[in-house]
Amino acid sequence: MSLPSRLLGVQVNRRRRTLWALSSAALVLSLLGIAISWLTPSIRAPLRPGLDFTGGTQIQLARSCGSGCSALTAAAVEDRLTSIPLPAEEGAAAPPNLRGAAVQLLDGGQQVVLRLPSLSAEQGQAVVEGLAPVIGPTDPAGLSVETIGPTLGSRLLRASLISLAVSFVGISAYITIRYDRLFALLALLCLGHDVLITCGVFSWLGLLGGVEVNSLFAVALLTIAGYSVNDTVVIFDRIREKRVQLTELALSEQADAAVAATLTRSLYTSFTTLLPLLALILFGGSTLFWFAVALSVGVVVGAWSSVAIAPTLLPVLARS
Amino acid sequence: MARQQGWFALILALAIAAGALLMSFPLQLGLDLRGGSQLTLQVMPAGAIKRVDQEQLEAVKEVLERRINGLGVAESTLQTVGTDQLVLQLPGEQDPSRAARVLGSTALLEFRAQRAGTEQEMQGLLQLKRQAEAVLGLARARQAALGNGETPPEVAEASFPAEQLAAALRQLGVEVPDGASEADQLELLLDTVNTRIVELYEPAAFTGKELVTAGRQQQQSGSGWEVTLSFTQTGGEQFARLTKEIAGSGRLLGIVLDGRSISEASVGPEFQAAGITGGSASITGNFSAEEARDLEVQLRGGSLPLPVRVVEVRTVGPSLGADNIRTSLVAALSGLALVAVFMVLVYRLAGVVAVVALSLYALFNLALYALIPVTLTLPGIAGFILSLGMAVDANVLIFERIKDELRSGNTLIRSIDTGFNLAFSSILDGQLTTLISCVALFALGTGFVKGFAVTLGIGVLLSLFSALTCTRTLLRLLMSYPALRQPTYFLPRVQLPAASS
Repeated sequence: MSLPSRLLGVQVNRRRRTLWALSSAALVLSLLGIAISWLTPSIRAPLRPGLDFTGGTQIQLARSCGSGCSALTAAAVEDRLTSIPLPAEEGAAAPPNLRGAAVQLLDGGQQVVLRLPSLSAEQGQAVVEGLAPVIGPTDPAGLSVETIGPTLGSRLLRASLISLAVSFVGISAYITIRYDRLFALLALLCLGHDVLITCGVFSWLGLLGGVEVNSLFAVALLTIAGYSVNDTVVIFDRIREKRVQLTELALSEQADAAVAATLTRSLYTSFTTLLPLLALILFGGSTLFWFAVALSVGVVVGAWSSVAIAPTLLPVLARS
Repeated sequence: MARQQGWFALILALAIAAGALLMSFPLQLGLDLRGGSQLTLQVMPAGAIKRVDQEQLEAVKEVLERRINGLGVAESTLQTVGTDQLVLQLPGEQDPSRAARVLGSTALLEFRAQRAGTEQEMQGLLQLKRQAEAVLGLARARQAALGNGETPPEVAEASFPAEQLAAALRQLGVEVPDGASEADQLELLLDTVNTRIVELYEPAAFTGKELVTAGRQQQQSGSGWEVTLSFTQTGGEQFARLTKEIAGSGRLLGIVLDGRSISEASVGPEFQAAGITGGSASITGNFSAEEARDLEVQLRGGSLPLPVRVVEVRTVGPSLGADNIRTSLVAALSGLALVAVFMVLVYRLAGVVAVVALSLYALFNLALYALIPVTLTLPGIAGFILSLGMAVDANVLIFERIKDELRSGNTLIRSIDTGFNLAFSSILDGQLTTLISCVALFALGTGFVKGFAVTLGIGVLLSLFSALTCTRTLLRLLMSYPALRQPTYFLPRVQLPAASS
């Protein structure tokens, strides 16, 4: 036995009640976070939805005054926003109200990020120009404007859910063909476990830290789904092998033997996947930060479920 | 052994080819990395059309493409997404409002008959219009000639004296902003006149929906050009009715685009009986070739079959884009370095081989992006970095198996072979399930979700090749040197069975 297996003395089936209790606690916490988030009037969704899902305009400005910048407060920017006259959009009702816009200062006040209701390109331009007296000169090369129509957000959400469902079906079909229905069911249970806990973590992050989920989060969930099954299937492959080699043992012991044989690999590959993600978290910039965090959570939970959940549920489900 | 060398030569050749490919075909960077604007346009159902289908989407795309060419943004691309969306990318464009204006408006083309009893007013407006157009045309020709470094053509002094222009503007009730140049004033006049002319028309008889196509041809008599129109059957009938009504009356047929008159045609008395029939017509106005082409494009552009709406705008400044490239490059390199250190520490000689194979993997990956070609976006890079981590998985699976075999007392060469064979089925299963998610993401996802799915998918496929071919070939090749054939290069001595240590 190699180093990690010896340290942990793997006999997961003997300790399965402890392992299940840990997972159940995580699941209950996740569901609790999702429920609280849903009941919170300012969120009203399982996770705090970002711009991609709600629709709106996000403008990021880079101030070009360098160290000579006058001190800027978010309140001053908010104040100024409400007094900017917006050109009306052709064929639309009155221009949107900018009261209640979210203003964020980044980079020690050098970057200003505005979250606004959905604006047309002209209206966005008007906001940028209208803020000049407060913010001072900005660098046009550092400008970013994103406008997402509200219909697009719901389409995006639907597209993500559909692709998640389709990959569920595709993956379970594949496992049913390569193994059997029981293994497919187990893989999907683990997958649901991993996706739910990742969502739970982000619902708590949204509740406590205001972290929003965007379409990159949807991408992360889909990747976690793929990764989770990838991880679980390797154990399945080994269980199948042990069932042939160790015919005299009970299924739970065969599963333990398979876990013992693959534990090192599970830990090492999760770790090597975490390393580039860690690099993304540290150096990848703000756009990819939460994406990398979501993937990291998914990788850790995925490794856990493939070691602690799949091989312990297998003997129980196989008996019934 | 010969087989190993053959594979090695192949890998070497591929690596050189990949390097050369990357040198000559630079990677295509998405707008989030190079700066620019991206607009997503939603095609809206209208009138009898309740659902937008692929054919209508293509028709809209064709029309928009012609308009985009008029914008003059280099390397702009327009792609259809799903069944009812178009994505327009304008690299380097910092002001998406211009594009939105040109593309977002419906550009409604209408055919209208002049109201009875407005002849005199129309005459006055048309005279102003011709005069303004003539002077503006000359001014532009002069500017173009100067721009090309040619001598500007000799022109008779402006046939639109300043006082007269000012008077005309005043008469039309146009407020001229302070400091407006003469050309500005002329354009203002032309704009107003074209809008005023429209007021002299009856409501639209029919619209550009009935226009099938527009073309141009040289006039049979005379030297000018004419613009030809062909209509749908309904359109042809409506056109005949309209022309019959005004033929010989001196009233004009107006062609109106977005509420501005773009052409006023007269219909001769010979059409009094039945109007212009046959579903086609020509507009003769002694156009120059240039003018005829502009009109043709406008007419065709005007026949946008369905309205479009801008639903998403993303603008990224170039320095922000450069920032994104730098941070993701740092992330990719440090991720690779961390993995390399880990692999060498844990797997020793095999780890070194894995790092070489992994570097080759990264190189092949990038070369494929250039070859396919994949436009690299931020999520795409994230997919690439993630696939780096996952590509290691195959190597770990193999090396763990090799270690198992060594521990159970097998010889090194045998262990290596068995390791590869035993690991194969779990590698295949794992990679294929990830690939299934990628396919689902690609087929159903939008825009950049697709970008991520493509890079991750390519990564997964390539990692099969890199682990099973590159790692194996390199490892076997190294094993042909007896000095390297030491189990302790793979596993600490303490873990080896007593017999072989």
